[in-house]
Amino acid sequence: MNTPSGRSRRTACTALALALPLAALAACGGGSSTDTSAEKGSATITVWAHQGQASEASALQNAVKSFNSSQKNTHVKLTLIPDTDYTKTITATDASKLPDVMEFDGPTMANFVYNKKLASIDDYVSVRTMANATDAIKAQGEIDGKHYGLGMYDSGLGIYGNKKLLDAAGVKYPEGLSDDWTAAEFTAALQALKAKDADGRTLDIQEGNGLATEWGTYGFSPVVWSSGGSLLKDGKAEGALDTPAVVSALKTFQSWKTYVDPNTDGNAFAKGRVALSWVGHWMYPTYSKALGDDLIVLPLPDFGNGPKTGQGSWQWGISAGTKNGKAAGAFLDSLLNDTNVTAMTTANGAPPGTVSVLAKSDLYKQGGPLQLFADQLAKPCGDSRIGTSCVAVTRPVTAGYPTVTAKFSQALSDVYGGADPETALAKAARAIDQDFSDNDGYQLP
Amino acid sequence: MTIVNPAPATPAGREPAPTPASAAPRRSGHKNRDRVHGLLMSAPALGGLIAFVGVPFVYAVVLSFYNVRLGSPLPPRFFGLEQYRRIFTDPDMSGPFLRSLLNNLTFAAVVVPVQTGLALALAILLNRKLKAIGLFRSLFFLPVVFPMALVAVIWRLILARGGDGLLNSALNVVSFGNWGAFDWLGDSLTAMASIIVLSVWQGVGFQMVILLAGLQQIPGELYEAAQLDRASAWQQFRHVTLPGIRGTLVFVAMLTSVLSFRVFDQIYILVKGGGLDEDSTRTVMYQAVTTAFDQNNIGQASAITVVFFLVVVALTLIQRRVARTGNED
Amino acid sequence: MARTRTPLRRFLDYTVLSVLAFVFVLPVLYLILGSFKPSGEVLSGLAGFLPTHLSFDNYKAVLDSFNSDATGYFWRFMGVSLLLSTVVVLGGLIINSMAAYGLARLRWKGQGAVFTLVLLLMLVPFEAVAVPLFYLFNDQRNTIYIQAVPFIANAFSIYQFATFFRAIPPSIEEAARIDGAGPWRTFFAIIVPMSKPVFASVAILTFLTQWGSFLWPVLMVSDPLVRPLPLEMSVFQGQMPVDWGQVLAFGVLLILPVLIVFAFFQRWFVQGVASSAVKG
Repeated sequence: MNTPSGRSRRTACTALALALPLAALAACGGGSSTDTSAEKGSATITVWAHQGQASEASALQNAVKSFNSSQKNTHVKLTLIPDTDYTKTITATDASKLPDVMEFDGPTMANFVYNKKLASIDDYVSVRTMANATDAIKAQGEIDGKHYGLGMYDSGLGIYGNKKLLDAAGVKYPEGLSDDWTAAEFTAALQALKAKDADGRTLDIQEGNGLATEWGTYGFSPVVWSSGGSLLKDGKAEGALDTPAVVSALKTFQSWKTYVDPNTDGNAFAKGRVALSWVGHWMYPTYSKALGDDLIVLPLPDFGNGPKTGQGSWQWGISAGTKNGKAAGAFLDSLLNDTNVTAMTTANGAPPGTVSVLAKSDLYKQGGPLQLFADQLAKPCGDSRIGTSCVAVTRPVTAGYPTVTAKFSQALSDVYGGADPETALAKAARAIDQDFSDNDGYQLP
Repeated sequence: MTIVNPAPATPAGREPAPTPASAAPRRSGHKNRDRVHGLLMSAPALGGLIAFVGVPFVYAVVLSFYNVRLGSPLPPRFFGLEQYRRIFTDPDMSGPFLRSLLNNLTFAAVVVPVQTGLALALAILLNRKLKAIGLFRSLFFLPVVFPMALVAVIWRLILARGGDGLLNSALNVVSFGNWGAFDWLGDSLTAMASIIVLSVWQGVGFQMVILLAGLQQIPGELYEAAQLDRASAWQQFRHVTLPGIRGTLVFVAMLTSVLSFRVFDQIYILVKGGGLDEDSTRTVMYQAVTTAFDQNNIGQASAITVVFFLVVVALTLIQRRVARTGNED
Repeated sequence: MARTRTPLRRFLDYTVLSVLAFVFVLPVLYLILGSFKPSGEVLSGLAGFLPTHLSFDNYKAVLDSFNSDATGYFWRFMGVSLLLSTVVVLGGLIINSMAAYGLARLRWKGQGAVFTLVLLLMLVPFEAVAVPLFYLFNDQRNTIYIQAVPFIANAFSIYQFATFFRAIPPSIEEAARIDGAGPWRTFFAIIVPMSKPVFASVAILTFLTQWGSFLWPVLMVSDPLVRPLPLEMSVFQGQMPVDWGQVLAFGVLLILPVLIVFAFFQRWFVQGVASSAVKG
């Protein structure tokens, strides 16, 4: 813990000592073991990161280790926090108590800028690091021309296909983005597959993750964007999220439920029970191991406004209250170097977030198995200019994102469960707008 | 597991004291001295109670009238009764809260009779002079000492969906292979039932011990007299046992109903990491915590807290009233 | 119901009790057996209930897998839980019994009003103040003392102590007073030693509640270095990919201290619980 926390803690203990002498003695005496003071003349940088998969956690711990051994005067102290509690932990922690460097999920960035928890990193990270970030990563970390975060990796959505099953059912599937299938063609493909399938369930949408979660928003807002709608337009959901086009797209989505394998064991696609799996890049390692050459990667279906995918992932930023900005910047430079980005993206199979590693990546290079994801990310829309020609959409960059995702994913889950899309979307839009008006539109300072 | 409104232990072998007023007669010279010492002695605990119970509670009431968000740069804004309107009557926003109230009522409506009845049955079974009866008492009491975080995990595995869960697998054997995989926690029909089962398992030993103590206070002569009158076992239960423990039974039932309104740990753990169906199991406390912690909406969470408190107080007051009439018998 | 029974009745009693006890203990058996099984066998239905071979591998893995400041250390979680329980139990015994004595046995103006206030505060369950406390003490997140201090003063403990103290005959204090002892000396030298039962039952109930405490740590703790065991239990079982054998071994280690206390103080446990409810 850094200095300010130590001070206010002492104040609290003094106050406590006046009120409850014994309690203070016991509690403040015992608690001091958590304070680790830095050695004289050197800086300790505290870092928070989400725990992630075991392989990601160890890649990160190695990055920290190598940074520490390369530095004389700076020492990084890493704390891993469970994924499910990560965002709320940062939200709940007072700005003065945040670590020097912290990771955060892409769409939550605006909220942390709004809450004055993040500093702009432009002054701290080197020009080289900034220049090496991919456009999509830079776009994700930017608000009003300032950058608040950079990521080691990006993300992408697609549909994994089982070539053998598709061919057996005589289904024609797209080669890439240019000849993407429309929603109607996709429905027809599902029907054709159903005829050949034992239980009639031929699609996996990772239902086990739950749809009223960030997976729901990330995985299926492309349906909204591809139909010409958006989650939020000029700070309002009404008129963007509840348009007739979006309603009709979600009706189509709803109609697919009969084809969906509940996939309670997580093995539906790998075991060949379904021919199609609607999911992100992260399943590639598992799927390619299970299917080998039969694995193909397809874009999400086009609902009229061109195929779309989600984008963005965990980013690194520097907290607004840091006293070690320079050292924190040096740590970010080190995290984002080729060695560490390669190690991390090897661990989780994600699209690298830096130009140099992306160029060398066997998975994402031209002709590589995941070239589609790289192609999608090369056509970024940002969060508001969602036209027909761009593909990778950033989730709304707004401090009100927590509400947007909560309400949208709930509506999505309700629709999937059988609710009327028009009612559900209108309700979500009203709830989002109500929350925005409660918070004066989440105007960034 | 916390105890609500209980009656006290008394020093072994002593009669309860008369009223406090007559307990310690003093000459007036002691009064001033005693006041200083009395205040000094109670100051640490009183300070703690005021700081960590009194003040926060009043603060909750105040916060519930404001639009206040955790970490927001906007100052809290006076909201009047808006938070209450939203959780009770707003067509868009009242849903989850009203559902949580309903879930709590369902939980209580099942758990109170089932757990009390089971506890009574166990207590009667265990109120015998048998060898090793102490061992049996300990076995039934054992789950009470298990933290809910652990209970939730054990039952999550027993109820695991898929054929590899213990329950599904056992049903499959019993039904000669006709039982498939069933998602006990994830299915909206059985999610609440699963929570009830694991909560009763964990809690019933507690009520059992209280009832057992109640049973042991019934004088043995009453049973001997009943036997002389050739009363059947059921008649003895009906006319000796039940009246004898009526007060205790009412107390246990009310205690269980208050505890059942405080359900949180198992719901939170199993929704967040165990595939528990959220909507059919969310409780008022779950709603308060997620509103505060996941949505940062402190104002609304405070309003939920205040409603929660009013329900608990109402239950406690009913409990007192019933217990009083019970004791007059 | 304590009557002599025929051998047949006794046999029936034992059968019913044994069957019920087995059903009750099954989850506990499942926990303990599972903690010694290879992980693949934990979730393998009825067939895997009885393990093929037992080992301490899971325990070793649990103790080894938490091995850095970033993830925390198992013994540290345990230490935090023990420290919190000790502080809350001991601190609580001291200040709550003192308060109870001051309120129940010393006569002073306003004493009745203060005692009524304590009774009123007893109506407020912790859950009802968790949200405002969370908001009020937000800047003290991730400290040991914010996890312990709010739970030391306890209205219910005061009430338990007070009722016990009131039943002590006044003649005992009178004698002490004649010997020249003030209220403090009377309390510590005479009242406390003769009140062991109530101290034991308050200590046990407080310990049980504190050891399993979950709601408050969920709200206030994210740093693994000050995380108590039950919270880490829920974190550990939610981490993908889950190794169930290790999770159950963690569970056994979590319950072990309570079981030890339970084994030694069984009588007090039961008596403490029972006396918390039954009058006279």
